[in-house]
Amino acid sequence: MRDTLTRLRYRYWPDHLLGEILSKRWTETAVPVLLLLIVGFALSRVLEHFLSPASLADTARQAGEIGFIGLGMALVVIVGGIDLSVGSMFALTDFCALYLLDVLNWPVPAVVVATMVVGGLLGAVNGLLIGYLRLRAFIATLITLIIYRSAFDLLIQRYSNAIASSLPDIPSWDFIGGGDVLGIPSVALLYVVVAIVGHVFLTRLRPGWHITAIGGSRRSAYNSGIPVRRTIALCYVASGVLTSIGALFFAARLGTVGGDIGVGLEVIVLTATVLGGITLGGGKGSVVKSLVGVLIVLLMTNGLTAMNARGGVNRMALATILLAAAMVDIRWQKNRTRIISKVYVAPTYHALPPPPPTEIGKGGPFEQNDKLRDVSLIGLGRIEAPEDVILDRNDVLYAGSRHGDIIRFYPPDYERMEVFAHIGGQPLGMAFDSQDNLYVCIGGMGLYRIAPEGTVEKATDETNRSLYSVNDDSRLRLADDLDITDDGLIFFSEATVRYEMDEWPIDGLEARGNGRIICYDTKSGTTQTVLRGLKFPNGVAVASDGQSILFAETFGCSIKRYWFAGPKKGAVETVMDNLPGYPDNINLASDGNYWLALVGMRSPSLDLAWKMPGFRRRMAKRVPIDEWLFPNINTGCVVKFNEQGQILESLWDLKGVNHPMITSMREHRGYLYLGGIANNRIGRIKLENADPDFVHYDRRWRRHS
Amino acid sequence: MIAAIREFANRLLGRGDATITVPSFDGALKANQMLEAAETLLECEAPEDIVSDGRSLLIADGERLLRWAGSSPTEVRRFERPISALAVLPSGGVAIAINGTEVHIYETLTTQTPVSTFTGELRAVNALALAADGALIATDGSSSYKVDDWARDLMELGDTGRVFRLDPRTRAMQQLAGGLRYAFGAVANGNDVLVSESWRHRLVSIAPDGTRRVVLDHLPVYPSRLAPAHGGGFWLTAFIARTQLVEFVLREPAYRRRMIAEIEPDYWVAPRLRSGQSFKEPLQGAHIKTMGVMKPWAPPRSYGLVIRLGADGLPRHSLHSRADGVNHGIVAAVEFGGDLVMIAKGPGRVLRLPLATLGQELLP
Repeated sequence: MRDTLTRLRYRYWPDHLLGEILSKRWTETAVPVLLLLIVGFALSRVLEHFLSPASLADTARQAGEIGFIGLGMALVVIVGGIDLSVGSMFALTDFCALYLLDVLNWPVPAVVVATMVVGGLLGAVNGLLIGYLRLRAFIATLITLIIYRSAFDLLIQRYSNAIASSLPDIPSWDFIGGGDVLGIPSVALLYVVVAIVGHVFLTRLRPGWHITAIGGSRRSAYNSGIPVRRTIALCYVASGVLTSIGALFFAARLGTVGGDIGVGLEVIVLTATVLGGITLGGGKGSVVKSLVGVLIVLLMTNGLTAMNARGGVNRMALATILLAAAMVDIRWQKNRTRIISKVYVAPTYHALPPPPPTEIGKGGPFEQNDKLRDVSLIGLGRIEAPEDVILDRNDVLYAGSRHGDIIRFYPPDYERMEVFAHIGGQPLGMAFDSQDNLYVCIGGMGLYRIAPEGTVEKATDETNRSLYSVNDDSRLRLADDLDITDDGLIFFSEATVRYEMDEWPIDGLEARGNGRIICYDTKSGTTQTVLRGLKFPNGVAVASDGQSILFAETFGCSIKRYWFAGPKKGAVETVMDNLPGYPDNINLASDGNYWLALVGMRSPSLDLAWKMPGFRRRMAKRVPIDEWLFPNINTGCVVKFNEQGQILESLWDLKGVNHPMITSMREHRGYLYLGGIANNRIGRIKLENADPDFVHYDRRWRRHS
Repeated sequence: MIAAIREFANRLLGRGDATITVPSFDGALKANQMLEAAETLLECEAPEDIVSDGRSLLIADGERLLRWAGSSPTEVRRFERPISALAVLPSGGVAIAINGTEVHIYETLTTQTPVSTFTGELRAVNALALAADGALIATDGSSSYKVDDWARDLMELGDTGRVFRLDPRTRAMQQLAGGLRYAFGAVANGNDVLVSESWRHRLVSIAPDGTRRVVLDHLPVYPSRLAPAHGGGFWLTAFIARTQLVEFVLREPAYRRRMIAEIEPDYWVAPRLRSGQSFKEPLQGAHIKTMGVMKPWAPPRSYGLVIRLGADGLPRHSLHSRADGVNHGIVAAVEFGGDLVMIAKGPGRVLRLPLATLGQELLP
């Protein structure tokens, strides 16, 4: 009863999604968005006409103007600087637009272009000072704030009357100031366009990444070859241009050049930027954050004004909110990764029936014996972590090593050893294709192909992204074992999509179906996920009918069969389940049956823990990983099974001193070769009654050696 | 109410009583491999306790009582049930606890009938010691479980250990202390008795009137039998060591309940006297053999440790057999001649180390 409830609860409640959602970068914006919603909701309850179209349009118009300046500010803050001169630039460009239009009577398009150029030039002064002359952003822009403001004051003394006296009536200018499309103000429309372009620019384009990189660490960015000075300078130019766009709309809307235009604007924009969650330290921020910040500030000030609050109260409230938001934001930014690490691991219910007996005297196919005691060792202390081993028709032995090499040993004594190819990641499963290319699954990298002369090529490292997964699962994290069909389809397993290779114990702790089977077509070069939700899929072998594969689910303790062609196409059937250990690689035996490595054996304490997800979740939080309850992978065995799911033979090593762990085995000319991912040796044992001429992939490709 | 809330918060956040930290082997407990270097005097099937009468060693091996005087052991006598503790009386007699439930006192080693027998409430007598006034001190680990079932007592958070004072002359039995979380091992300390309270990882000094004083606390191990050492002080054995996983499981009632009900005791997540016998034993992350080696600092499912305490009850130095070793489960130690002789119950060995070599690294 209790087990049933636990099972249902873990089956239908997706615990793992919380951690995956929190790991998304966009959740950084969660706090500002929440604040915006609260402010919006509160104001809509207090103010009667807050949500009326007219009020919204007015807010949107203002938001657009300040929003452009906010975008510029966001850029310079992300790149690691600050721009205090935006208020003065705003005033100057506003003057510039009106002077050109009213006094010099330029046509509107020329006015627009010229104003933007002036804005760009004003920003360029900042950019020159900060980017190239390496002045502090704060000082430099403080100076330009004063200079630009003084220039503006001098100019309006002379020209304000001339501007005020002319009232041009130009439809296009009026459209800029007060026009709308389907009720949406022109300025808001343009803002949306610029914001979308800006978002794509920042998140998807190279210069955008450069900006974030410089803000994150200027020195590292420089060392990576990013043109730091130029990028910084251009950010200030962009800030100037964006400010001038805001000023253009402002000029078109109001048409005045009062002395207080743009005074204190930098504080409002800065408040909005910080409120939106763009950290002043640089390196973090987005267009959405800038927009959210601007909206919060605007709603606050407008709401308070509408409630007839005095200017002082208004600013006081703004400051209070800024303080609170900054505090929450700092806490959130600081602890976000810790919260993720606490909630990401989400164990689930995984019940296995009591395993078949293995004890001597109890009988059964898994009864322990000492057949592997006399394993002879190859490369003891010279090879590290050979997960899989394979031999070619010349009896040369190939094995992976944790240094990212494929090592080969030469017959007859397998003493001579050389590096066949260097790949760089941990090699796992291996298989030869019909042209003697060696395909290797590399943990953390994907599927690689090594030509007979030793050149390394990537076959594939990504597959199609699942529609419903929160994590981006298109990259291969842990390609594990593979086999090749007659039609050149390579089926390989990916053990987990939630963890990296060195984190396999965490996946074991979760015991969720996080793995999948992927198919790579050597002819078309396409990669496609064919099965999902498997519990650490591992060994793969093409079955005798050529239309299906056998695959092992390590933590599912089962062997399944999947038909990729023929009348049963798409079907998955269980060949064996409730194994007493954790199945790993599967390979063909000379008598047409299959060898299976049990990398470890089940222990009752872990079997029980797998039925108690809450226990494991707390264990993951409290106990260091080295002290977790683990699957026992110190002891294992090799078994032979057939496609009907019968165990024909099992080979054990009672002491496990000689060859402690078995992740793979390969039969070759009457011998069985053993690999183990935590070993520093390869095992070799003579088989009785085995075909002395059997070469795995020559048999596979129907070739006679 | 506040206490309940605090306890709940502690459990939620893993603080306070819910902390699973284990002190490290540091200072006088700094790890070495001296027990691994010890000479194996003899191998027995089920060695349990060892005492010395000055001329020879008496060894309890299951139901057999062995005497060892320098060459090979001779069987002195045999009981129907296993011996659980031994003590030599100043009169030349011997006190023997049988199966934890009876304490027999014999005038000589070979006398057939005991002069006195204590039974009554005794349930799990696991150590006998001589008090200053000539009485016997018996530690009774648990009122609920037998001597061999100590792991169950630990897993059920047993707190029914008792210390008795047995007077061979008056045949009176008096309870000195009760409610101990497993009493295992005692030694006279002046007029007081020093007792190991295993599940609380500490040594308690109990006065004749029953008042208790904690002498040594926060041990990274579960202490067991004590023996006097030459030059003052004591030898303290520790039969098992603490691990964070076991501490964690002790705070997980649901898992413990099901584990006790559904799993054979040999495969529990609990400390053991020996380990690595079967792949069904729980395995922890650091136990995975990498490049053919298990790290000696892996969390010990079984451990070997003898601590030399000063006269003040504080550790001076220690002898270890670490996680990758064999001589685990040291339950008794006694000085004999110029040697320290110990029982490693895990592998079933009697070990010997020359006293002169011990603590050398601490000399100036």
